[in-house]
Amino acid sequence: MSVDPMVYETQFFGFTPQTCMLRIYIAFQDYLFEMMLVVEGVMLKKLDGIPGCKVSPSQIRKCTEKFLVFMKEHFDKLFAKMEEVLLQLVLNIPKNVLLPEDRVQEQYPYSEEEFQALQDELQQLQQQCRAEAATEQALRAELEEQKVVKAELEKILQCFDGLESICREHGAGNFKESFALLTQNSKKLQDVLKDVEEKSKKMKQHDQLM
Amino acid sequence: ADGGGGLALAAAPGRAQVFTTVVDTFLEKLVAAGSYQRFVNCYRCFYKLQPQLTRSIYDQFISQLQASIKEEIQEVKNEGNLEGLFSSLDKIVEEAKDREEPAWRPSGIPEQDIRSTMVPYFLKHCSHLRRVLREKEEENRKVAESVLMGRDRIAELQQLIQARQQAWQ
Repeated sequence: MSVDPMVYETQFFGFTPQTCMLRIYIAFQDYLFEMMLVVEGVMLKKLDGIPGCKVSPSQIRKCTEKFLVFMKEHFDKLFAKMEEVLLQLVLNIPKNVLLPEDRVQEQYPYSEEEFQALQDELQQLQQQCRAEAATEQALRAELEEQKVVKAELEKILQCFDGLESICREHGAGNFKESFALLTQNSKKLQDVLKDVEEKSKKMKQHDQLM
Repeated sequence: ADGGGGLALAAAPGRAQVFTTVVDTFLEKLVAAGSYQRFVNCYRCFYKLQPQLTRSIYDQFISQLQASIKEEIQEVKNEGNLEGLFSSLDKIVEEAKDREEPAWRPSGIPEQDIRSTMVPYFLKHCSHLRRVLREKEEENRKVAESVLMGRDRIAELQQLIQARQQAWQ
């Protein structure tokens, strides 16, 4: 005959029902024996005070033993019945009953595969989030770079615009054109200079020959 | 089931009530077995000498025994908070009364049983991450637009500068 370990009941009550019954049994039995000893003690004391008493302590002891054997037999029988009822009706959880703390078991009966799939999905989402975070970083870094570059370019543009406004202010006409003309003229001058140099060299040679 | 006629059905006694009744019955029967008659039978020699004292000793024995047993039961009830647990269990059982199939029980394999307890947390986490991901993607889309606009602007500036340079040649 296998003993029901009553695991679910233990989960609920915080103790094993059978252990509880055993504790009660031992306590009750102890009280019974204790009371009997007290009874015996009172009787012995009384007999002590009676001079010439015909009843010996060993006789009283035999009486106690007789009473004890009788009481123990009934005690055990009655306790066994009580234990049976308590274990069946009071300290038990019917088979169709699910404790509230275990509701998730019936709400989410995931198999091993389903559970693994859920974990995989979670992992995938975490990866995607990390990727988006990296993308964000890269984008914001470029935005910062653009800011710097834009500032530089705008400065240069400002310089150019600044020059033009100066020219206009000082009435140098079209400075740009004059500047361009100047560049051209100096080039022409350079050519003329070269021509003159060559001609004078030729003349000197000619003179020497003459 | 509805109580018909004029007879009101008494509610089934709760576990606390059954517990008390069963213990009281035990005591009753024990005391009945250990009757005064039986006591006298065993202690006949003493009874012959001191009949009145025998009665008084017996009465004290019985009352002490009953008191000790009741006290022990009360202690067990207090220590384990049995009254509270009994009434909770009664409620839980009552709520399950329409259910016939056997309920889930621990499998004895903790790794298996813990799966279902973790599922709701994982599900919540997943939906949270999905939301965060959506928001981040949306944000990044906007930032990407700004980046593209920025690139266009820089190209524009570069062209303007080039034009100025050429004008000064």
